[in-house]
Amino acid sequence: MFALDVNHLTKAYAGKMVLAGVHLTLKAGEVLCILGPNGAGKTTLISIILGLVKADSGSIHLLGEQQQGRSRSKALRQQLGVMMQIGSLSANLTVFEQCDLFSSYYANGYSATELVQLAGLEAHSKQRFGRLSGGQKQRLLFALALAAKPKLVFLDEPTLGMDVEARRVLWQQVRQLKQQGVAVVLTTHYLEEAEQLADRITVLNQGIVVASGSPAELKALTRYNVIQCESALTDQSLLAIPGVEQLQRESNLCILHSSHAEQTVRALLLADDSLCQLEVRPVPLEQAFLQLTQTETTNKEKAA
Amino acid sequence: MNTAIIYRKEAWYDLLSVWRTPGFVVPALAFPAIFYLFFGVFFNSGAASAYLLVSYGCFGIMGPAMFNFAMSIASDRAHGWLTLKRLSPMPFGAYLLAKLSTALVFALVIMLVLFSIAALLADVRLVATQWLLLALTLLLGTLPFAFIGLIVGLSMSDKAAPAMVNLLYLPMAFLSGLWVPITMLPQLLQQLAWLWPSYHVSQIGLKVIAMDQAHALWLHLLILLISSLLLAALASWLFRRLTGEKA
Repeated sequence: MFALDVNHLTKAYAGKMVLAGVHLTLKAGEVLCILGPNGAGKTTLISIILGLVKADSGSIHLLGEQQQGRSRSKALRQQLGVMMQIGSLSANLTVFEQCDLFSSYYANGYSATELVQLAGLEAHSKQRFGRLSGGQKQRLLFALALAAKPKLVFLDEPTLGMDVEARRVLWQQVRQLKQQGVAVVLTTHYLEEAEQLADRITVLNQGIVVASGSPAELKALTRYNVIQCESALTDQSLLAIPGVEQLQRESNLCILHSSHAEQTVRALLLADDSLCQLEVRPVPLEQAFLQLTQTETTNKEKAA
Repeated sequence: MNTAIIYRKEAWYDLLSVWRTPGFVVPALAFPAIFYLFFGVFFNSGAASAYLLVSYGCFGIMGPAMFNFAMSIASDRAHGWLTLKRLSPMPFGAYLLAKLSTALVFALVIMLVLFSIAALLADVRLVATQWLLLALTLLLGTLPFAFIGLIVGLSMSDKAAPAMVNLLYLPMAFLSGLWVPITMLPQLLQQLAWLWPSYHVSQIGLKVIAMDQAHALWLHLLILLISSLLLAALASWLFRRLTGEKA
C-alpha cells in the first residue's frame, strides 16, 4: 500500500492547464521531493492532495483511503502532518500555548512539552509567536506538523529563513522520520536539500511530470559529466575533443561539460602531456534540474 | 484525544489571545463605559439613566461579537492559520464556539461594568428579576452580531474586515436608537429600524424596564430568530464555498 498514490490528476484554471495528468506514489519511510520552477503547479498539486482545492479529474489515495473532492476524514487527519508557509499563528500566544493547543487535537500525538522539545525552543517556550525569529517560527511550525505523530507529512519549504545550523538539525529530524517509517512529501527551493533528503524527486514543469527518480537517476538523465583539469590546450582544441559540449575557464582551471566522459578523458590525456588536477564528477542536481525544466520549456515554445 | 478538552482549550486560548490585544480590549470595554458615564450619569438621571443603560449595554455587546469574529477569522484566513487548523482533526465547531465564548465573556464584563455604574453612580433601581432578564437579553443578543461578524470574516480580507465592521456597527447602533432614543428619529428611520437586530435586542431590553415602544415581545423574538437563522445560513454557505465542507 502506498502512503500517497496520485493518479492522472488534472486541473485547469480559467482554461489554462495547471496540472496535466500528474502521477505520484510514495511509500512509508520514503521522502519524495517535488521540484519545479515557480508556476510549475507544485502549490496546486499539494493543495489538491490536501483537499484545499478540487481537482478536475484523477484520483488520490491517502494512506489507502480514496479521497473525494475536498473533504478529508477525521481519521485521516489524525495521521496527517502539514507544515505550510504561514504568515502568522495567533501572534499573542506563546510557543508552549500553541503546542498545548495543537497537541490537544490528536489522540495519540506528542504532548505540548515534547513538541516544544521537537522545535528545539525550550528556551523560548514562554515567548509569544510574534516575537520569534523567522527560523524559530519555522521550527515551531515543523514541530506542530509532527503533533499527530503522523504517518504522512507534508513539508512546504521547511527550511526557509533558517540558518545553516538549524537547517542541518531539521534535515536530521526528517531522516529520523524516515527511519520511523513516516512518508514525507517535501517541496523546496534548495536543491541541496532535495539531494540530501529525497529518496525520489519528481520534477514538475508546466503541470507535467518531466522527470522522476532518485537524485542519482535524475543527474544521470542529463547525460553530462563535469570534467575539470588544468590544461595547456587552447579553447579551440579543447572544444574539438570528442564529447565536449561546453567549456568554461576559472583562473587556470578548465571546466568541461561532456556527454561522453570516458572518451573525453582519454582524448584529453593523449592530447596534453602536462594535464593535471583532473577531476570527473556528475553534474550537480541544480544543473540537471535547470536542464530538465528548460528543455521542456523550449520544446513547448517551439511547438507553440 | 478528548473532544471536550479541544473545545475548552480552543476557547481558553482564544480568550487569552484576544485579552493580550490591548487594541481590542481597551476600546471594547472603555467606550460603552465612558459613553454611559457621560450621558447616563453626568448629563441624565433617573428614568433616562435606566433607558441609557439598556441602549449602551446593547451597543457594548455588539462590538466584541462582531469584531472578534470578523477580524480574527479574516486574519486567520489571510495567514493560512485557518487552513492549518482545518487540516488538523480539530472540529470546526470548537473554533466557532471559542470565538462565541470570547464574545460572551466580553459581553458579560461590559454588562457588569455598566450595571455597576448604573446601580452605584446613576442610582438606577431595578428588581433582581429585571437585572437578570436584562443580562439574559444582552447575552443572547450577541448571537446575531456574532453571525454578522462571521459573515464579514469569511468573506472579506483581513484589511477590509475591520472597516466593514465599523461601517455596520456605528450606523446600525445609531439607526436602532442606541445613541439617540428611537422615538426622536424621523418616522422613516423608525420604520427602517425594524431591519436591524440591534433594534429588537434593545426593545426587548427596554421592555424589561417598561420603556419600550410597546410592540409585542413575540414579534421582536420572531424577527430576531428569523434574522439569526438567515445570517447563520449565509455564514454556513460562505463556509462551504470556502472549504467544500459542511459547517
